[in-house]
Amino acid sequence: MGSSEVAVELYVLLSAVLFIMGAMGVVLRRNAILVFMSVELMLNAANLALAAFARQWASGSGHLVVFFVMTVAAAEVAVGLALIVTIFRTKKSIDIDTVHMFKG
Amino acid sequence: MELTLFIIVGAIALISAALMLIGENAVYSALFLILNLLCIAFLFLMLSAPFLAMVQITVYTGAIMVLFLFVIMLLGAERIVPTVQSRFRWLAPAVVIMALVFLVTVSVALINGEITKTEPRKAEPQVRVVHALDGLASLDMYLDGEPVAQDVQFSAVTGFAPWRAGEYELTIFEAGADPASADALLDQPVTIERGKAYSLTAIGRVGAPGARLVAATHTLDFSDKKDGLRLVVVNALPGRASVDVRDEVYDEVLVSALAYGEAHEFELSKGERDVALYTTGSQRTPVSELPKQALDANTLVLWVFAEQRQPDNSFTDVVISLQDKAPTSFGSPTHIGRLLFTDYVLPFELVALLLLVAMIGAIVLTHDSQAPRQTVERRLANPPPGLEQSAPGETGD
Repeated sequence: MGSSEVAVELYVLLSAVLFIMGAMGVVLRRNAILVFMSVELMLNAANLALAAFARQWASGSGHLVVFFVMTVAAAEVAVGLALIVTIFRTKKSIDIDTVHMFKG
Repeated sequence: MELTLFIIVGAIALISAALMLIGENAVYSALFLILNLLCIAFLFLMLSAPFLAMVQITVYTGAIMVLFLFVIMLLGAERIVPTVQSRFRWLAPAVVIMALVFLVTVSVALINGEITKTEPRKAEPQVRVVHALDGLASLDMYLDGEPVAQDVQFSAVTGFAPWRAGEYELTIFEAGADPASADALLDQPVTIERGKAYSLTAIGRVGAPGARLVAATHTLDFSDKKDGLRLVVVNALPGRASVDVRDEVYDEVLVSALAYGEAHEFELSKGERDVALYTTGSQRTPVSELPKQALDANTLVLWVFAEQRQPDNSFTDVVISLQDKAPTSFGSPTHIGRLLFTDYVLPFELVALLLLVAMIGAIVLTHDSQAPRQTVERRLANPPPGLEQSAPGETGD
């Protein structure tokens, strides 16, 4: 392992900060689309930590998990955005505070 | 240098994430998220994961974010300002406290943890078979009774294959012989370690006392030297007790006094070289020559100097010269593809199924069964004034 490489701790710290920012966005923002984008930010922060540890342990499995997370994120976005569109149709709003009842 | 780059890219990632979170306009937020994802793709490149970086750009910043922008435009939701006060005002301080607790926990784990104190794991070991055993047309090689390669012709080399680390009994048999009943032609214990590639070489003459097995070792580590290559030279000439390998152009001794049955590994810079083999001490007539060897960076080169007995009892020199790409180019598409189709086939299939279900789910959710009758309802972005009775969170434009 070359000495010029950035230590894995720095990557994990950056990933943790990005994760926290994403979590704050999920809880504090009220626009459903922004909440959703914050979830993407959290997933990416987790991916960054996984890739950093994959390099640390010279293991391809970490990369594979990142790959699967990306695929699951794509599926989640497809369904989530479809849900947002449906909610907007019935409620005429995507403010998540107004979506507190199962009744349409 | 790399640290500076990391700090710059990391700072851009953090700033773009913050701007995304506080932005009022959803379109700007989406664009800042794209910038953030590009920064993470760049960090993937720095983490020697080029495949992930490309997938990140195509899937995330390409497909997913375009979908986000499309939905924002479709709903006309780019400027949504909450009109009513949130009923969960206690959330903000609670989240800040939780974030601080999380950050402290992660920092403590990073400072006190065992992340870098443990030795990093090295690359998976690789093995291949080299046949330089005179008098045997083809051979089978086994490690603890498990076949490594079968029917290897004389002077042939098999491709690298991954193997588990451990201690093994290496045996060779004449091709086609049953390892359970037949006697091994040669056997020798070998230790296979992580982070190394082994060229298991059979040398000498069948039946002669000099015949033996040599495990020539390449070290699999290219993180330090980017334009170098690793060379292994094996002296498989039973008649030469000690040889020198010289570079004829630069008049430089590459390997000196290599005894019979020994393998020597060394690093070299790339370039074209004329190589010759001499008996140690003499510089008159080369025993064997390897002219115009084009050596590329990041490769593993193997030179085995052997000889073959002809029908008239004379010997001809046989030089096995081979140049391979380093077998574990970590994080490359080949590496990931191999893992995907060997160890991770089931998760791969499940994820594919999940994507199919998500696609059907998205179609079912957005399918409007009443569409033909109520055509007005379909224009969601700009509903006519009559339909806009109660829309608390929407301003329209």
